Amino acid sequence: MMDKLFAGVRIRCLEKADYDKTGQKWSVFLAPNTLLKAVARLNDDGWFLEDVCAVDSVEGFLVLYHFDHWQKSGRLSLKVLVPHDDPRVPSISGMYQGALWHERETHDFHGIVFEGHPNLIPLLLPAEADFHPLVKDAKSRLPLKDLMVLGEVVSCEESIQALFPEEAEEAAAEQGGEEAEAEAES
Amino acid sequence: MTRYPNMEQVTGDFYTQNFEKGAREGSLILNMGPQHPSTHGVLRIILELDGEYILRCDPVLGYLHRMHEKMGESKTYRGFIPNMGRVDYGCPLPWNWAFVGAVEKLAGIEVPERAEYIRVITTEMNRITSHLLWWGAYILDLGAFTPIMYAFDEREWLLDLLQTPTGSRLTYSSFRVGGVGHDIDDKFIEGLKAFIPYFRSRLPMYKDLVTDNIILRKRVEDIGPMPLDMCRRYGATGPVIRGSGLAYDIRRAEPYGIYDRFDFEIPTQDTCCCMGRYKVRLAEFEQSLRILEQAVDQIPDGPIIMDKAPKPSWKPPKGEVYFAVEGARGKTSVYLVSDGTKSPYRVKLRAPGFSNLSLFAEAAQGTLLADAVAILGSLDLIIPEIDR
Repeated sequence: MMDKLFAGVRIRCLEKADYDKTGQKWSVFLAPNTLLKAVARLNDDGWFLEDVCAVDSVEGFLVLYHFDHWQKSGRLSLKVLVPHDDPRVPSISGMYQGALWHERETHDFHGIVFEGHPNLIPLLLPAEADFHPLVKDAKSRLPLKDLMVLGEVVSCEESIQALFPEEAEEAAAEQGGEEAEAEAES
Repeated sequence: MTRYPNMEQVTGDFYTQNFEKGAREGSLILNMGPQHPSTHGVLRIILELDGEYILRCDPVLGYLHRMHEKMGESKTYRGFIPNMGRVDYGCPLPWNWAFVGAVEKLAGIEVPERAEYIRVITTEMNRITSHLLWWGAYILDLGAFTPIMYAFDEREWLLDLLQTPTGSRLTYSSFRVGGVGHDIDDKFIEGLKAFIPYFRSRLPMYKDLVTDNIILRKRVEDIGPMPLDMCRRYGATGPVIRGSGLAYDIRRAEPYGIYDRFDFEIPTQDTCCCMGRYKVRLAEFEQSLRILEQAVDQIPDGPIIMDKAPKPSWKPPKGEVYFAVEGARGKTSVYLVSDGTKSPYRVKLRAPGFSNLSLFAEAAQGTLLADAVAILGSLDLIIPEIDR
């Protein structure tokens, strides 16, 4: 289902999450430059945005977009990893106006810059605030592999698989063929 | 230019100045709130007016921001539950449920039957008290004083009852990971059984006195249209979306707890206007009563919390989890990332009012200022939940 939805969009990693454990059905890693294309597909397919948030990790900020659907229930999470020193992702507020505030909030809390946002001013913090409260110091940051697990991997680029070392070997053995296909498609 | 000590009141603060940039020649910029009675707490809205018509507007948030998400990162899982009682004071039990539900899902914890029933009973009672608060306050916004007295009379009965299982009257934090904190007794059940027919007998009076009242109808019918497409773009949920004709309720769409055992309907109205949202909430009274009746009949004896329930030093497995419940205002959910220590690594609270209010600026564009108050009230806002 997801392969079809995202056909032609370059996906860094597509995994079927364990709904009973994570409350999510699909999890999709994307590069910042393919985010808008993927979100446009969701928009055409009638998904709605639940929220946007970020998680601070050793590898960078993981910006998360949670989507759900009115008819076909099943949470989908788009994940975009951006570096600490230049955290930029395109704003999806052109398609989902609900993101206007979620993105401002994420900018407040983590300092993520949403490019193309029409009004990226503080939402919840005071206008003069010069800090981002949810950014962790280097000591308390943890790598992504300690925070989440990959579910059933459908396709995955090496750069993402390298972040989750335990899963890497199994997934590569099972999904080697499909991965090559996904590469060819993109 | 003389520097006045209160220069901000003359020139406007950062938000006003930012808003003024796009203003049309000859229009009036007006600050409504943060201390305005119809903004229910401390919401501020900057409006650009042409006469009485709104050209555009922009809500300013943050006056009640407490950074619950940061607090979550330094508290234990058990220690964070009281925060959940304070996110939304109008309907805190769904927030309790969203958080403990997320933790239970993450750790694979089963909740005892009796605790599941107590959760349903208290949450549905809380939904009624929340809708009553909204109903009274909304009519008050629109200029009628009496109905809030009736609403609070009924609400008082429920608050008295809820003291037994929750220990408080407003900021409930009685859910625990693996169950609930307090049991309910026979006196509570008796009281609830007496309340249900009484409240049901009052609902026709609500209709005759308020819903059918021509003054109310003129204020809310066909005001503030929110078509489904607009709701989807903003991620609106709860009575807002059901008032636009879509039967989307987390209790059905993504059943949690034991909601799949109860027979109830999801009321909808397809007028998309303030009256639609109003009627949905009033119809939800009856559906909550139906759930309560069934739950009170079916509740089994047994423990109210799992064996060896998590202590403050308890550590869940690592991982991420997203858990959503249906609050009085819509989809209330918690996204949790655990690193396997005593405190969460990241807690994200998804407040339904946040998404519902973000829709306001578009819905109010081109309406009369007085109608904007009707639209704002129809969204059922609880500002602490929006600011978190």
